[in-house]
Amino acid sequence: MAIRNLLRGTAAVALVCCAGAAFAEPLKIGLVETLSGPQASTGLFYRNGVIYGIGKINAEGGFGGEPVELLEYDNQGGPVGAADRVRAAISDGARIIIQGSSSAVAGQITEDVRKYNLRNKGNEVLYINVGGAAMELTGAKCHEYHFRMTPNADIIVNALLDGMKENGALGENVYAINQNYSWGVDVQNSTLASAERLGFTVVEETLHEVNKIQDFSPYVARIKESGADTVITGNWSNDLLLLMKSAGGAGLDARFGTAFLDQPGNIGNAGAIAEGHFVATSFNPEANAEKSKAFVEDYKSVIGHYPTYVEPQGVFGMMLLKEALKAVEPTEDGLKAADLVVALENATVETPMGHMSMRAEDHQARLPMVVQKVSRDAVYKADESEFGFVPVKLVSAEDAEQPVQDSCKM
Amino acid sequence: MNFKYIILFAAVALLAVLPWLVSDSLLNAAILMLIAALFAMAFGLLCGQAGMLSFGHAAYFGVGAFASVHAMNAFDGEGLLPTPLLPLVGAATGLVSGILAGYFSTKRTGVYFSMITLALAELLHALAPHLKHVFGGEAGISSFRMPAWGIEFGSFTDVYYLTLVWTLLSIGLLYLFSKTPLGRLALGLRENAHRLRFLGYNTHALSTLIFAVSAMFAGLAGALQSLNIEASNYVVLESQISTAVVLNSFIGGVRVFLGPAIGAAVMTFFGYISSDLTRVWLLYQGIIFVLVMMFLPRGIVGEIAERIKNPSCDGLAQTAITMAQRIASLAIAAFGAVFVIEFLQRVLSTEYRAVARDGHWPDITLFTYDWSPVSAVPWGLGIGVFALGIRLAIIVNRRAAARQEAQA
Amino acid sequence: MDQILFALLNGTIYGLLLFMVSAGLTLIFGMMGVLNFAHASFYMLGAYFAYTLEPFVGFWFAILLSPIVVMGLGVCVERFILRRVHAFGHAHELLVTFGLAVVIAELVKMVYGNFAVDYRVPAELSFAAFTLSGLDYPIYRLFMGGVAVTMFITIYLLLTRTRVGIVVRSAIYRPQTVEALGHNVPLVFMGVFGIGAGLAGLAGAVAGAFYTTNPNMALELGVMVFVVVVVGGLGSMGGAMAASLLIGITNSLAVGSDLRAVDVLSIVGLGDWAEKSGGLLTISMSSLAATLPFFIMLLVLMLRPSGLMGEKE
Repeated sequence: MAIRNLLRGTAAVALVCCAGAAFAEPLKIGLVETLSGPQASTGLFYRNGVIYGIGKINAEGGFGGEPVELLEYDNQGGPVGAADRVRAAISDGARIIIQGSSSAVAGQITEDVRKYNLRNKGNEVLYINVGGAAMELTGAKCHEYHFRMTPNADIIVNALLDGMKENGALGENVYAINQNYSWGVDVQNSTLASAERLGFTVVEETLHEVNKIQDFSPYVARIKESGADTVITGNWSNDLLLLMKSAGGAGLDARFGTAFLDQPGNIGNAGAIAEGHFVATSFNPEANAEKSKAFVEDYKSVIGHYPTYVEPQGVFGMMLLKEALKAVEPTEDGLKAADLVVALENATVETPMGHMSMRAEDHQARLPMVVQKVSRDAVYKADESEFGFVPVKLVSAEDAEQPVQDSCKM
Repeated sequence: MNFKYIILFAAVALLAVLPWLVSDSLLNAAILMLIAALFAMAFGLLCGQAGMLSFGHAAYFGVGAFASVHAMNAFDGEGLLPTPLLPLVGAATGLVSGILAGYFSTKRTGVYFSMITLALAELLHALAPHLKHVFGGEAGISSFRMPAWGIEFGSFTDVYYLTLVWTLLSIGLLYLFSKTPLGRLALGLRENAHRLRFLGYNTHALSTLIFAVSAMFAGLAGALQSLNIEASNYVVLESQISTAVVLNSFIGGVRVFLGPAIGAAVMTFFGYISSDLTRVWLLYQGIIFVLVMMFLPRGIVGEIAERIKNPSCDGLAQTAITMAQRIASLAIAAFGAVFVIEFLQRVLSTEYRAVARDGHWPDITLFTYDWSPVSAVPWGLGIGVFALGIRLAIIVNRRAAARQEAQA
Repeated sequence: MDQILFALLNGTIYGLLLFMVSAGLTLIFGMMGVLNFAHASFYMLGAYFAYTLEPFVGFWFAILLSPIVVMGLGVCVERFILRRVHAFGHAHELLVTFGLAVVIAELVKMVYGNFAVDYRVPAELSFAAFTLSGLDYPIYRLFMGGVAVTMFITIYLLLTRTRVGIVVRSAIYRPQTVEALGHNVPLVFMGVFGIGAGLAGLAGAVAGAFYTTNPNMALELGVMVFVVVVVGGLGSMGGAMAASLLIGITNSLAVGSDLRAVDVLSIVGLGDWAEKSGGLLTISMSSLAATLPFFIMLLVLMLRPSGLMGEKE
């Protein structure tokens, strides 16, 4: 595919050179995801969502009467690979870069795009972030051409805590355990910041190594000793699974509030241990059941399975992009990035969960959040187990919104 | 001998005009290949010439990368350190860290040496996330290449030439180094360190020095990388980077001078192309590596050099024909293997499994044709082609052996 | 007090798990001088095979059969790959095992997918053994410890009390001499390699159910096992046991501790200075837990390169 893209890219460049500006080529979108290596699992899910979303864009006429073309690049899991894949994408003609898994990669891409735009005034590219959740992406590192389509740590934690509080699942003593990097620190800070508002005390907070710990029992012992009845954690992947299994094995009587419990494999692997724990994400098929059903069935007919984990995020991001593209008139050179920036800032879309729009001040999406609980009563089961996620609270985009960070200077 | 120089000259000339020949995307790949080649050459000095297998060379690469990013931000590419001279910072930090680490690790030899280098690199990698002001946390440290000497350093071409000049200069220096008495002593260190000690050499100081020189060029390569991507992140300290350079160098051949560079360039290009083509490119990379280790222990370049140096009694023409036959038959086998692996990967992929419930097996598109996974045709075809290729290779080998026997 | 007891107990169990994986590696290392990078991959395969077999033969037979399959695989690897590369030198052997580790990891991902599979502790083993300051102690942890101890005793007796054991031990010490005495050393190599792989497979089958069975599990444990082998000393069973326990327990204690270099320095009145200079001095012990094994390994390599109980350098 790459070779073909390369050839096509070269051919297109040649054509443009000869034919001048009279020839507008189809809009190209570069997906720079982690498609191989240890972290490929998440990247492939974003890919599914984006492919579905681009399909919808093309079903409604694409851009400027031409279908949008999706180019795929494998960033090989790291910022270094991402840096040169972004360049490859741009030189192949991509005007929009999409990426989701890993904040580290997102940090690299947003900087690369910013630098490219500084050097190529009038020929800018956009970065649509469908997953990088680190606060600084819409904080110190924010810039005009970066758009985050997903909730950040503040939005997730606040929605989660509100939902748990409303369901009487949020105790008075909360233990915050997180991975020691920006995402974990953000979750911890958001938890601490909400303590007063929701009337709980954070009895202890722990930051631990990322994906290096095999045995979480020392941490479970500390949670037990602290007397916490609720554990709030941003952990993902093995760090979440092992923590929950360790807690379950030790008979720890504490409710977990998480951000990534819906990652495939978790429920199947943890089984009954996960029952009653909470997670806040931007979609649940049982919320707004009618609209959601239409969406999940359509998704299944295209991708092959019901949307899970981060897939809906990717789809919703593409839906907003679709609305914005409708509002942009193609110029002779194709898409003018500055026009799309304005269009995205003004776009609103109705997702199965409710309104979604883009905040102009820091380019953080406003989107509804669903707080959900692991239960046997779920209609859509996870991992072919007997459990699934039941929505307990749908937080509207307005209620979920969190203030703009001071550090963001566009 | 002259032939060698002609090839060398042609290669350099080709590299010099490359920006006019290839697309931006490929030029980008070329930059990566040059950096990987220089890094592998630095490793080759230590491993190939001095016989010390380091498992932690990412540390020196990373140290150089971070030093140059910090320098880039501190000097803004002006004054004492204009952008083109930034790699010197990487080289200097590489050298200093190499002297320190080399002093400790070269106290031991063999597998213990490898383990110390591994431990040092892992320690640095484990500490890096905690030292946010130095390594910038998981977001890394970002910088901006400033124009200098009237050059923008904004386009691929500028960066390419910057990388090319530094890489060629370094490889040239490494070559000269291998010709100095010190470079010759490195060979002695590899072949028989005991004897060297009896002769009155201080082998520890010698090893430390060679280690430091190797780390210096690794640091320089790191600096080029951060100049290229205008950022540095602690993932450059990961063990994958250390092992990648080992693999690349051995695939090329550590004992021939340009072996590591060519191995690294080829493997980087392979990764660049194949990672967008297939999800399982790491599998292919692993398989290639295992096969090279098993059947071409001298590495690809090493093997070719050996054939040219000691042509079998068939004469050069016959050797070339045999070689071509071998390559052709192996290509057939490789096609069969790739077909089976790709088909299997598609059948086993989560997407397909989700579609293929309830005994319904839709067709899979591979190489522009549709194949049914429940029919024997695709499997038979793949395995058949593979077997045919292997069979041909065996026949070619037998013939060559028979010919040699007849002549002997 | 309870907490320390807990940490010690957990550290011991984790150490025993490390021992199970490294037991085979230390034998192979001692005998062939090869650090087998693919060893942790056998651990992973053990878990995946047990997961595959479980629905057909039940948990108990699965954890018995899976190591045997892994052992067969190990024998093949030795016979058809390592033996071929042996003549090219240690570096090549080591690198070929590294390539194998990559291939195995990618194949596992291809066949079983990228996420953790649903391999769990069976219901009949998921109850609490006892309760310590309000926390249940899962019986399965004790079971894992028990398997490791049984393994240690069996190997120890085999190596010290049987004829085969004597040949193996001498092959570790002086392979050429043993060969000269008429023993089939390649066969011994193959056998030990197979058994070593099988032991790692057993560890995987047992531990995979308790922790998680995912495609990265080899990567996570791999380096740690090296550390154990080097710290313990090549080919020394007792050393491997001691090193495993040492690393398991220090890890467990460090994780539970909030001690910082600052706190130590403030005893001598340097606290403020240390707090200001920040960096390494203000990082708590628990977040440095992952670096400890490497630190221990470095110390051992510098001070006593033959390892805690090794005899050979």
